[in-house]
Amino acid sequence: MSSNNMIEVKNVSKEFKKIIKEPGLKGSVKSLFHKKQEIVKAVDDISFTVEKGEILGFIGPNGAGKSTAIKMLTGILTPTSGDIMINGQVPYKNRKKYVKEIGVVFGQRTQLWWDLPLTETFTVLKEIYQIEDAAFKNRMDFLNQVLELEPFIKSPVRTLSLGQRMRADIAASMIHNPKVLFLDEPTIGLDVVVKDNIRKAITEINQNEKTTIILTTHDISDIELLCKRIVMIDKGKKVYDGALDKMKEKYGKMREIHINLKSIEDMNKLAFTEKFNLLEDDLEVKLEGKKATIKFNSSKAQVSDMLSYILATITVKDIAVSEADIEEIIRRLYKG
Amino acid sequence: MFGKMRKVYGGFFRAGAQGAMAYRLNFMGFFIGESLYCFVMYFMWKAVFMASGESTFMGFTLVDMTMYVFLSNIVGFFTGTDSTRALAEEIRDGNIIMRMIKPVNVDLSLLANEVGNNVVYFAFIFAPVMLGVEIYRYCALGYVAFDIVSFLIFILSMILSYILSFYLNLIFGYLAFWLMNIWGFDILKGSIIKFFSGAMIPLAFFPGIVRDIFELLPFASMVYKPTMIYMGKISGVNILVALGEQIIWILVFYGIAKLLWHFAQKRLAVQGG
Repeated sequence: MSSNNMIEVKNVSKEFKKIIKEPGLKGSVKSLFHKKQEIVKAVDDISFTVEKGEILGFIGPNGAGKSTAIKMLTGILTPTSGDIMINGQVPYKNRKKYVKEIGVVFGQRTQLWWDLPLTETFTVLKEIYQIEDAAFKNRMDFLNQVLELEPFIKSPVRTLSLGQRMRADIAASMIHNPKVLFLDEPTIGLDVVVKDNIRKAITEINQNEKTTIILTTHDISDIELLCKRIVMIDKGKKVYDGALDKMKEKYGKMREIHINLKSIEDMNKLAFTEKFNLLEDDLEVKLEGKKATIKFNSSKAQVSDMLSYILATITVKDIAVSEADIEEIIRRLYKG
Repeated sequence: MFGKMRKVYGGFFRAGAQGAMAYRLNFMGFFIGESLYCFVMYFMWKAVFMASGESTFMGFTLVDMTMYVFLSNIVGFFTGTDSTRALAEEIRDGNIIMRMIKPVNVDLSLLANEVGNNVVYFAFIFAPVMLGVEIYRYCALGYVAFDIVSFLIFILSMILSYILSFYLNLIFGYLAFWLMNIWGFDILKGSIIKFFSGAMIPLAFFPGIVRDIFELLPFASMVYKPTMIYMGKISGVNILVALGEQIIWILVFYGIAKLLWHFAQKRLAVQGG
């Protein structure tokens, strides 16, 4: 293991046996007596490394195998094949020892004690992780300042709002100063302001503590704001590993032209496909009232050519060009 | 090592106790229900004794029987455990992973949680019920029959009974890894325990060979034996035998539970992605 790598994942696969049930009541009855099984590869031969102090975005569509992968990295699941080495340990070999030095947030679950005041959860965690009094106090002060827990620290957890609960959960995952932090959908269901606070906190924790972070999310702004590098998986396989900028360059040739039309009929005069010889995948036209959005592949048709063609063909009230966001890139990548 | 364990699981213990405190009222309802059940059983046995026209029935006087009803219920209550349901639910909704990301054993953290819970209930009802039982016995017999040694052995036997019951229930909870929903098995298990543990009918009332077999089963160690120890119906060397049996059953169930957990981890497919 090279000294700089905090996480090394080598040819890891995870298979599940899945029972196939035929639809309907008849299928249910049938499956009572005769079970059809199928082997599903949730994670298929994935390899990657993460350096100490890096924030890695781990993304993919629903059911891509993200969660399964995270559960293997956190020592909950054992891989069917392959090797994982994190912080010099094999996660699933000695779970209790391994988890002492990692922190985990599963955004859809909570590790807080539901019926107790929040501060009690931290006292319990202090005992579980055997944290010294002084270290605990320092840590609490830091987390308090970054995540602003003070206003609700005395309230029972069940009375907290989702945003408060998530901040508390992140604090709880960090109380023992973990070397690696796994954040699985840490901003799910939160409003923009809270998301922003949480992102700031994650950045601050990463910079102050050099904590290595793996982040999975569906919110692409999380990735854009937090991660320099991403690993993308789809159908269990790794489909991209590299800098976010590079990915945008590679797949992000999509541009959007927004037009305010004078008359809707004008749109019929525009024939982009013929004019620029575009494929179905290279062009998407949306029309809402008199506002049209034309999304196209700028490596096939230059932005300037598109603009001059439009302006030469029809009269417009207003026209603007924008870059497609990463969400679009990912969507296209998944399709391909 | 023991000190460290106490510290680590102390948190779970306190959380359990505080959780119990948060739902005091709920518990009162439960307690009233249980008391009513005891009185129903008492009147039923009284009717049985009156109908038989004899003062003793299978070696039990009506005073014995009354004590048995209340004692076996309180033993059943404190040695009963919610671990099947608690564990099965965590397996089914996937929250068991929140235990697995902490440096603790799943079984011990559940145990500490529940003991914390039980200690609160114990403080609230154990002393008053025991006092009530003793006052009744004093009024019925005319002298104080309380024996501190039997009492202490009774407490020890009850603790063993609790651990035994905890691991037996845990085994049923682990079944959720294979069955997902164990509602039916849980009911079945409940009925078996209620019948074979002596919680409904003292095992002494069963005929010869049947009684001998029932007394050998682990369920007898859960309610019947601690109750009989307190009542002085198990005495001398037989007390050691009874305690020994409890310890053996604990080891057996503990072993099975550990083995199941070992296999279950390989099967673990966490619900909800």
